[in-house]
Amino acid sequence: MNMEPIIQIKNVSKEFKVLNRREGLMGSIKDLFSRNYKIINAISNITMDIMPGEIVGYLGPNGAGKSTTIKMMTGVLKPTSGEILVNGRVPYENRTKNAQNIGVVFGQRTQLWWALPVIESFKILKEIYRIDDKVYNDNLELYNNLVGVKELYSKPVRQMSLGQRTLCDILAAFLHNPSVVFLDEPTIGLDVTMKSKIRELITELNRVKNTTVILTTHDMGDVDALCKRIIIIDKGTRIYDNSIENLKDYFGAYRTLKLMFSKNPEDNTEENLNKIAAEIQTSLHKEFPSAENIAVCSNEEWIDIFINEDEIKMMEIMNFIQNTRNIVDVKITEISTESVIKKIYEGGVK
Amino acid sequence: MNTEPKKFNLNKYFALTKASILEELSFRANYLVTFLGNLIYLCVIYFLWKAIYNSSPHDIVNGMTFSDTFIYLVLASAMFNFLETYVVWIMAKDIQTGKIVVDLIKPMNYQLYTFFYFSGIYITYFFITFMPTFLIVLFFTWGKIAIGINLVFYVLSLILALIINFCIDFLVGTICLYTESIWGTNIMKEVVVLLLSGATIPLAFFPETLRKIVEMLPFQAIYNLPLTILTSNNTDPSGYFQAIAIQFFWVVVMIILSALFWKKSIKVITVNGG
Repeated sequence: MNMEPIIQIKNVSKEFKVLNRREGLMGSIKDLFSRNYKIINAISNITMDIMPGEIVGYLGPNGAGKSTTIKMMTGVLKPTSGEILVNGRVPYENRTKNAQNIGVVFGQRTQLWWALPVIESFKILKEIYRIDDKVYNDNLELYNNLVGVKELYSKPVRQMSLGQRTLCDILAAFLHNPSVVFLDEPTIGLDVTMKSKIRELITELNRVKNTTVILTTHDMGDVDALCKRIIIIDKGTRIYDNSIENLKDYFGAYRTLKLMFSKNPEDNTEENLNKIAAEIQTSLHKEFPSAENIAVCSNEEWIDIFINEDEIKMMEIMNFIQNTRNIVDVKITEISTESVIKKIYEGGVK
Repeated sequence: MNTEPKKFNLNKYFALTKASILEELSFRANYLVTFLGNLIYLCVIYFLWKAIYNSSPHDIVNGMTFSDTFIYLVLASAMFNFLETYVVWIMAKDIQTGKIVVDLIKPMNYQLYTFFYFSGIYITYFFITFMPTFLIVLFFTWGKIAIGINLVFYVLSLILALIINFCIDFLVGTICLYTESIWGTNIMKEVVVLLLSGATIPLAFFPETLRKIVEMLPFQAIYNLPLTILTSNNTDPSGYFQAIAIQFFWVVVMIILSALFWKKSIKVITVNGG
């Protein structure tokens, strides 16, 4: 395997000039005559290398700059500064050449021909990407073995469900054996079965073809199922780039202690629980001033206590609370990728 | 594994032509509506020009008889039906919704991609709306339209007109990258093109100075020149060659202009949504 990175991003920044719109009708009228623009830094100084065959989860809250980065890697947008190389080429200077070696799926749009049966779209793509008959037929056979979609082929795209369409869009993106595939929120709006079907498909295609996959998503299920490495960006800057295990190790000492103080629904009103959570939080902070990361909140009928066991042992907290309150039920949960990432988005780790 | 495109290959563009023909053919109701709308428009211009000729003391106005004028305008409207493929609207919509990104990730030049994407629509509309209208006019006014070498030059002229028209549409569509909205600009373009090309009023009816100016603009190469070729009856083709040469000049100029403008404008693209 070639150990040169397939994608190199060096100190890339992207600025957008956007109109500062005034409010209301009068404001809009004023906008007609004088405009004032502001510069938005969508991406600031991002650097990363991606190796051939990797599946990388590219995460970040809405508006973090994920799609902008993908559009730069596909050559649609030109970075304001910095350098990008995909397959050794600068994508925005060789957009059409770069396009030949990449595949893209935008979960919210389709690249298939709306009124035509899928197989017609595949045939058009075969011509557009100039795919050999052999490669094309091999891929159709592979697809059939993986997901068995033959009966879908004759259906016009406009009559498909979102899940079927996404599935076909992913197949279309891999059709010309690209070396890199960008999947921009491929599981958005899909049901559980379809999600897992699509995850299996991506895993298999990556395994069989050794295709590099860059995946953006808000679904942590996708991340757990597919990615070994994740890159997190927020407000245009990279805040995490490492393996998923490392992320969990980092937070390994974190547990959530879930306590229930009453099974009677009348006691468990939201107002009441919030009050209890606040009281516990204050008393815990008073009792254990060294444990800075303790966070208490109510969650349905439970009170969740977020604990870093490097700071304080869970049993100590249990004992302390038991002295003042009557605990009727207890649960302890490991931290999920979801809550780790949530914590990172909220600025929990640096 | 990765097939590098080594030489310019037309097959991939013809695949787009085929796709758009297939897409067009799956929406049948369109043609009926276009055909009916055209019929109503033809009634309006029939009565309008009948009134104009009735109010004149002569049978020949500006060198054209009523039937000359009517044949010219009927064919102009038939040409309009096939040349107007709403390139501007569709480009604008793709830019506004961000769908353009799906086209930009194709390994093709965007302008050629767009042209071939619409080529199937041009072809279907040529056979489904233009040809029937032309044949009806030909038979109802038997003898008025000469059948000879002019038809050959007309077909060539029509193809050049189509390219000029597409480039103007593409140029106006590109403006949407800056404005994010195209309604006003496109309405203006339609009025300018239809008037200055001689599609709504034959150029013979224009005041002398205006006509001189219009003859130096590209618009008349879209409707006036092809229709003049079609309705004329010369056995000497030198006049036809001259018209074709003018059109060819505008084809080259408009292709260069629209391609340069696109190349400059694509840098400002922001790609909306998602």
